Amino acid sequence: MIKKFIHQFASPKTYLFQVDRAYPYIFYISLFIYLAALFWGLFLTSEDFVQGNSYRIIYLHVPASFISQSLYLGMAFASAIFLIWKVKLSAYLVRSIAPIGAVTTFIALVSGAIWGIPTWGTWWAWDARIISTLILFIMYLGLISLHDSFTDNEKADKFLAILVIVGSVNIPIIKMSVEWWSTLHQTASITVTEKPAIDPSMLYPLFGSIIGFTGIVICLVILSSKVQILKREKNKSWVKDYV
Amino acid sequence: MKLLKFELLKLRKKSRGWLGPILVFVLIMTAFPLTVEILNKDMGQSFFSVLWIAILLVMMLATEDIFLEDFNDGTLEQMAIKQSSLSSVIATKIFIYWLLIGLPISLIGALYGLGITNSADMAIKLTPVLMITTYIFLNVFSFGNALSLTKGSILGILITMPLVLPLMVVLGKVVIAINFGMNFLGFLFLLLGILSIIIIVLPMIISFVIKAHLE
Repeated sequence: MIKKFIHQFASPKTYLFQVDRAYPYIFYISLFIYLAALFWGLFLTSEDFVQGNSYRIIYLHVPASFISQSLYLGMAFASAIFLIWKVKLSAYLVRSIAPIGAVTTFIALVSGAIWGIPTWGTWWAWDARIISTLILFIMYLGLISLHDSFTDNEKADKFLAILVIVGSVNIPIIKMSVEWWSTLHQTASITVTEKPAIDPSMLYPLFGSIIGFTGIVICLVILSSKVQILKREKNKSWVKDYV
Repeated sequence: MKLLKFELLKLRKKSRGWLGPILVFVLIMTAFPLTVEILNKDMGQSFFSVLWIAILLVMMLATEDIFLEDFNDGTLEQMAIKQSSLSSVIATKIFIYWLLIGLPISLIGALYGLGITNSADMAIKLTPVLMITTYIFLNVFSFGNALSLTKGSILGILITMPLVLPLMVVLGKVVIAINFGMNFLGFLFLLLGILSIIIIVLPMIISFVIKAHLE
C-alpha cells in the first residue's frame, strides 16, 4: 500500500492535486505558529543579561540558517532519488528548492550581519561559519545558473542532480565549522544529544519559530514546485484542465 | 600504457595547453612582489595567500579545454563506445595534465617559496603539499568543465570553485603548521586522504556526466 502511495505521489499530477489540498492548512498553521512564537519571543520573554534586546533576532536568524542547510540536504536527497529511480518529480523539486535556498541563506547572512553590529561590534568577520554560509549562498546561485544555461531540460536536471550531490560535501563543513576552527561565531546552543544551553523561556519560542518558519518555507517550496511542474508539463492535457 | 602515451603526446603537441598555464603562473608570482614594497619583511606573510590563489587560477585556466576538443572532434564519443571504461581514460587524461602542468608548477612554486622565505625546510615541505593540491584542483575543475562542457568555462568555475574553498582553509593551516613546526605530517596525510578519494570518485562522476552529454 505504501508502495502504491509513493508511486501515485511521484506523478506530478497527483502531487499537484494533493499539495493543493494541503497547502492552506500548512500555510495558516505555520503562519500562526511563527507569529505566536514571534509574539512570545519579542514581548513576553525577558532581556538577555549580556546582549540586551538584540538577541531577539534569533527568532529570524536561527530558523533561516537552519532551513538554508536543511534545504540543501533536501535537494541532495531529491537528487539521489532522481538519479537512482528517475523520478521526474524530484528533479522538479530540486530545481524549485534552489532559489528558495538562496533566499533563506541570504536572510541568514543579513540577519547575522545585523545581529553582529551590537554584539560583535562588526557586521562582517572573516570567520569560518560566515564564509561557509556565504559559500552556500554562492553554491545555490551556481546551481540555478547551471540549470538555466541548458535549453535541454532533461540534461539540465541530470547535471544539476550530480552537482548537488557532489556539492553536499560542503554541508558537514558548514555544520562543523564552528567546532573545528576557533571562530567568533558561537557553537550551536541546541543539539539533539545534550541539554540545551539556552534558557527555557527563550527556547520554546525559538522552537516555535523554527517550526513555523519551516512550514512557511515548505509552502514557498510548494508554490515554486507548482510553477516548475506547470512549466515543464505544459503540453500535457491535464495541465490545460488544471489551469 | 598506450593510452598514457597517446594522451601525453596530444598534450605535449599543444604547447598552448601546458606551457601557457605555467608561464601565467610565473607571471603572477613575479608580478606579486611589484605590488608590495620591495624588501618588505612581511612579504612572506602574503606570499602564501598569493601562491594558493595563483595555483587555483592557473589550474582553472589549465583545465579550460580539457574535454572540449575531444568532445568536438568526436574522440570522446569513440572512447565512450569502446569497451574499456571511460573513467580510466579520464583519470589518465587528468594525470597527464598534472604531469605536464601541475608538477612543474609545484616545483616552481616551491622555488618561489625558497626565494621569498629563505628557508630550505619550507621549500622541501611545500613541494609535496603543492603537488597534492594541484592534483586535487585539476580533478575538481575538470569536473566543473565536464558539467559546463559546451557552455564555456566561466560557468564551470562558478559551480566548482565553492567546492574547493574549504580546501583553501586547510592550505592556510598547512602554512601555519610549517611555520611553527607543528603537525605538518598530519595535514599532509589529510590532503593525501582527500586526494585518494577524489582521484577515484571524480573520474567516475565525470564519465557519467560526459555520457549524459553524448546522449
